[in-house]
Amino acid sequence: MLQLERVNVHYGATRVLWDVSMEVGAGEIVAIMGPNGSGKSTVLKAAMGLKKPSSGVVRLDGEELQARSATVRPQRGMSIVLERRRLFPRMSVEENVMLGAYTRKTAEARETYRWVLDLLPEIKPHLNATAGKLSGGQQQMVAIARGLMANPRVLLMDEPFLGLSPAMVKTVCSIMQMINERGVAILFNEQNAKLSFAMSHRGYLLESGRVVLSGSGEDMLDHPEVRRVYLGMREEAA
Amino acid sequence: MSSTQFIELVLNGLITGSIYALVGSGIALVYGTTRVLNFAHGELMMLAGYGVLLFSVTLGWPVLLAALATILLVMLLGAIIQRVTIAPLMKREDWAFNVVAVTIGLSIFLQSAAQLIWGEQFQGVPYFFSGVAVIGDVRMPWQRIAILLVALAVMGLCALVLFRTRLGRIIRATAQDAEAALAVGIPSGLVHTAVFSISAALAGTGAILLSPLVTVSPWMGASYLLKGFAVVILGGLGSFGGAVAAGFLLGLIESFSVSFVSSEWSNVVAFVFLIAVIWVRPEGLFAGRGA
Amino acid sequence: MLEVFGRRPYLVLLVMALLLAPVPFLQLNDYIVHVLTLFLIFAVFATGWNITLGLLGLKTLGHHAFFAIGAYASALVSHYFGVSPWITMWLGALIAAVAGIIIGFPILRIRSMPHVAIVTLAFAEIVRLVFANLKDITRGELGFWGIPPFNPIGIGDTAIRFGLGNAAGSFALAAVLFVGVHLILLLLLRGRCGLTFLAIRDAEAAAESLGVRLAAWKLFAFGISAAVVGLSGAVYAHYLMILTPTSVAGPEMLISLLAMIIVGGVGRFFGPIYGALLLTATSELLRDFGDYRMLLYGALIIVFVFIAPAGIAGLKPRLGRKPAEATKPVEAV
Repeated sequence: MLQLERVNVHYGATRVLWDVSMEVGAGEIVAIMGPNGSGKSTVLKAAMGLKKPSSGVVRLDGEELQARSATVRPQRGMSIVLERRRLFPRMSVEENVMLGAYTRKTAEARETYRWVLDLLPEIKPHLNATAGKLSGGQQQMVAIARGLMANPRVLLMDEPFLGLSPAMVKTVCSIMQMINERGVAILFNEQNAKLSFAMSHRGYLLESGRVVLSGSGEDMLDHPEVRRVYLGMREEAA
Repeated sequence: MSSTQFIELVLNGLITGSIYALVGSGIALVYGTTRVLNFAHGELMMLAGYGVLLFSVTLGWPVLLAALATILLVMLLGAIIQRVTIAPLMKREDWAFNVVAVTIGLSIFLQSAAQLIWGEQFQGVPYFFSGVAVIGDVRMPWQRIAILLVALAVMGLCALVLFRTRLGRIIRATAQDAEAALAVGIPSGLVHTAVFSISAALAGTGAILLSPLVTVSPWMGASYLLKGFAVVILGGLGSFGGAVAAGFLLGLIESFSVSFVSSEWSNVVAFVFLIAVIWVRPEGLFAGRGA
Repeated sequence: MLEVFGRRPYLVLLVMALLLAPVPFLQLNDYIVHVLTLFLIFAVFATGWNITLGLLGLKTLGHHAFFAIGAYASALVSHYFGVSPWITMWLGALIAAVAGIIIGFPILRIRSMPHVAIVTLAFAEIVRLVFANLKDITRGELGFWGIPPFNPIGIGDTAIRFGLGNAAGSFALAAVLFVGVHLILLLLLRGRCGLTFLAIRDAEAAAESLGVRLAAWKLFAFGISAAVVGLSGAVYAHYLMILTPTSVAGPEMLISLLAMIIVGGVGRFFGPIYGALLLTATSELLRDFGDYRMLLYGALIIVFVFIAPAGIAGLKPRLGRKPAEATKPVEAV
């Protein structure tokens, strides 16, 4: 459904992605794992159109989007939950959530709004609160709600667990699975290998801006390289 | 100080302040949304001055129609300036100073162009409102009082648009997080252009209100630019409400300073106050709602 | 450093000095020598401003205030107290430096560019208004005339005279100022001092974490920059022998100098010199079309920012070298 083909990204003269190719099929959860500075966020931004690739193809359902502005993505069924929530801090929670449906008709948006509130009942009591004043976990719920308001078929999530308490990480995980069960594909990134691959159908390992490994979530967890470097296990213990 | 004098000083301060507020709130709106400091903002005022001169004096249109046409004209000019000279630079890494330099260049270019086209002679616009209001012992021409009332009405309308409409919502969203706004599908480029237009309309309103009292000249906007900047800083960079409040405050300070120092020093007082505030409270005097 | 100074800065300066040296002996038309003298004074002004604007990266917009302070301080002291301009010019530079350090204080805590730009602009406006309003001392906008020229210097039997009307002597003085200031700045800025400025410009937080005392260095930069500009102002005052607040601290001065720096190249050591030469020359060529001068300057600023943001000085190195492609992948977000 979503394909990246040989995507390259530069920041100024610095090349941060090297021929990155990835694919997200309908209804899949796909993880991008990699250490700090490996280019995980950049992959998501390039897919969303927030960072223009210097070359390569971004395709959604067969349509090439790499040259189009980010603003067309929500209409095509792709939306993003940005790193560190990135809510509109001085607006109410309701305004934040409703802005997620900016590109859609009001009647449709109202319907999705009810669906989203059913899915995430935790935000109901805070609808009139100022978004910037909520806790990190609450903000993440609002950010997810805002992302879902575009009624996406694929949801990108940039570091969805960053800065959350362990309990909150669990909650967000189960929300992601719940969203996925409703047919929404998810592409997310995360530094923790176990967290990344345990909950995903497939995964990619990114190092220094290159895809070095890919496979099913289980295969990735079992791969000796991943076990050694990212899970801190010695070979014999496998 | 007698109460008559006091009322007069307050009224004068509010009237001057309402122009500062109009100019400053426009600059604040643009800065708050786009992070652009527009040094050509004064020239939008100047062009509005010539616009109202053209429509009301040369063409003899009724005042209201001339004012409306002028506002539409400067809104268009504001949008063109943003599209042609500012938007292309925003993609650069060091755009902030590039934009400052370009708008400074544009400002002096437009001033000199106006001087070459319309000459140096100062031209006046007749009063829109006749008569004198009498409040107790204070006598004040309606034309001056109208400045305060119209400015309040226009800024109120602007606040209404910002905080109660869909356009306002996407402007505030872009101001608060441009990338997040882009990610939900808000075309931030168009929002930036719209904000320049609104800001131009505010400056244009100021110029139209002033045109019967001061003469229209190539430099009429330049003298308000620095005051506008001062207001933006005092109000807390980029805050619309803060700029409005700071505009009135600055007007009052200048008005009252005249009773202590001669009038030619009142600008010195205003700018010293500005530097003192930046020294002590760089975040501005009012922690108000941002645009 | 290479980007700022080029490959052989001392050689470049030497060539400039050698080009300037024969000018007083060429029997050139006085008017041409006058224009060249103004160019040299403005080049020093522009170089001084470029220290904060280009090297330290603080976008200050009020350096015409230091020019005015240096000019008026030197002119007033020499006029009212009969002190030789050879002495008061240093006083002018010193007072400008003190003013620079004072205005540096509110800027220390601020990292936002608009604040810096507006504070310095407001400061310049205050300075202009003060000189305009102190009519008893400065005669305000009527102009402070009768400023004494630099006292003549005798070499053997010939006396070198200065001031307007003594083209060759004035040019020689301006040339010595020009070469001297640039030489001293090269010695200063090619070392630790310049490196520190650039470190502050390019990565303020990193520089601070490496133990750079930001406040002291910034104030130092402000002081040096203002002193250089003030010195150029003093020489300007005793050369033209008349000052008005608007001519030295008004918006046209700001635009002219900003145009010189942008056209020449912000943050390039020799950039402002090229800009000053180009703009002084063209504006004198357009003398009969005086009204077009500011139109031209405005247009030049716009054109250069769009087409050549690194200015004239930034054009040359680009021809021979290809931009190096960095290969280190860094996640910048």
